[in-house]
Amino acid sequence: MNEITIAWIALPFFVGFLIYLLPKLDRYLALLAALASVGYGFWLFFQDSPLVLTLLDNFGVTLEADTSSGFFILTNALVTVAVVIYCWDTNKTAFFYTQVIILHGSVNATFICADFISLYVALEVSGIAAFLAIAYPRSDRSMWVGLRYLFISNIALLFYLIGAVLVYQANNSFAFAGLRDAPPEALALIFLGLLVKGGVFVSGLWLPLTHSESETPVSAMLSGVVVKSGIFPLMRCALIVPEVDPIVRSFGVATALLGVAYAVFEKDTKRMLAFHTVSQLGFILAAPEVGGFYALTHGLVKAALFLCAGTLPSRNLKELQQQPIATPLWIVLAIASFSISGFPLLSGFGAKILTMKNLLPWQVIGMNLAALGTAISFAKFIFIPHQNSIEDHKSRPGFWIAVIILLLGLIGANVAYYDAYNLTNTIKPLATIALGWLAYFAIFKRLSIKLPRVVEQFDHLIGSMSLVLLLLFWMGFAWLDI
Amino acid sequence: MKIVSMDVMSTGAIAYYVLIASREGFLTPILSENNINRVYADPVPQGAILTAIVIGLSIQALMLVGVMKLSRDHPTLDTHEIEKDNT
Repeated sequence: MNEITIAWIALPFFVGFLIYLLPKLDRYLALLAALASVGYGFWLFFQDSPLVLTLLDNFGVTLEADTSSGFFILTNALVTVAVVIYCWDTNKTAFFYTQVIILHGSVNATFICADFISLYVALEVSGIAAFLAIAYPRSDRSMWVGLRYLFISNIALLFYLIGAVLVYQANNSFAFAGLRDAPPEALALIFLGLLVKGGVFVSGLWLPLTHSESETPVSAMLSGVVVKSGIFPLMRCALIVPEVDPIVRSFGVATALLGVAYAVFEKDTKRMLAFHTVSQLGFILAAPEVGGFYALTHGLVKAALFLCAGTLPSRNLKELQQQPIATPLWIVLAIASFSISGFPLLSGFGAKILTMKNLLPWQVIGMNLAALGTAISFAKFIFIPHQNSIEDHKSRPGFWIAVIILLLGLIGANVAYYDAYNLTNTIKPLATIALGWLAYFAIFKRLSIKLPRVVEQFDHLIGSMSLVLLLLFWMGFAWLDI
Repeated sequence: MKIVSMDVMSTGAIAYYVLIASREGFLTPILSENNINRVYADPVPQGAILTAIVIGLSIQALMLVGVMKLSRDHPTLDTHEIEKDNT
């Protein structure tokens, strides 16, 4: 068992280098590594007890794989499979596949780490690989977006590093559980790093630009899985150290509302999806016990939506309303939008119900508002006009296979929580969606408010990081007595 | 300029690790026959920060390459200018 885990962690990196040596086999090798992760993710579901590996005594690397990491790993694997297939008949070089698969591997590693230093290494590797993937087109714009991403994530991780050593000082070990005995400043610094990396709340406002300006497959990968590499450790800390649970939950609610507020007013498809990622991450954090399942459905649906948005004729929603799109494309778009708004029969429904059930009373109003906002903003996609006769020039077979894999995963994931299907549970999301559509037609369709992008400027991003640090420190100081 | 200041930050983080490691004492932690009870520096943070130094260096190099590419069109490298043209 231990050998399998270690071999599985090492496989993507090995394959990444192998791709460079054998550029002819690039796609096949990348697909193979991703499929291996699918297998490993499923295998984790059938393990009774979490798998804990302590390598080299308690100073060394600790790994821990349980069912919730299983969900995250499966998300990562399915999204990577879809992305590789999507790129199959494009002329991407071996370099691109190398980056994708190393990104995949490092994100996998974050999903099973249980100590701060291996997590740091995994996060840094994923940051570098993501930068190279973003900057792949070599245009000025992509270069700048990539540099901005790398800079912000590196600064955040420097804060994180200082937090990690404070934990070590208190416990003589880097394990997650040591957060309990560490001083509040350690908590603040570590959480700041993870919040920025995961794109949560105001410290996550770097995310919309990065995700919307990169290429379609890269945005799918970033939005579907890479942000979760910051979210997962937060979830796990909240589970291991119950004292920090309220902090994580309150950030969840705040993020869900902030993201959705931006998404409702956004007129650009990709930017709207990116803001939506911010809000959905809030849902994951709002109920850490069941976040794994939500992350799975969100990752699949977001990857599918980004791939679709890349195939749409325009990025401007106003133009899309004038210009009909092909019906098959519309069907895919509608299924994905329905799932994310929580429509029954799709697994987004089960995930939403499960999250709502695990909320604390004070969170309920906020999360319901966020769900309503989700329905409003996705009404924009569902009501794009469509026609049978339109030929679509941009979609290729690879796109269809990729999207079908993601949607099948979405429907298949229903089995994980089939208790959700009873009458009261079904009525509530339907009512939310109906209300959302009503609000869309009555108000938001006519509204054209452009929210300022000031806070997304580079300097302000760094500045807001220190503000969040202060906020976290205050929270840690006031709420916990550790 | 920002990249240089990032480097200063990372140097600070590294120095802090070294400080923590030397809290108990600063002798090299090598065990030999005649100095068993001396105060040693803690090797674990030192080992951990070694990884961070290497990562910091490689990120530094990567970013400088990116900036070189950008400098062709924006010779002043003013972030506000670059941002205005690229968003």
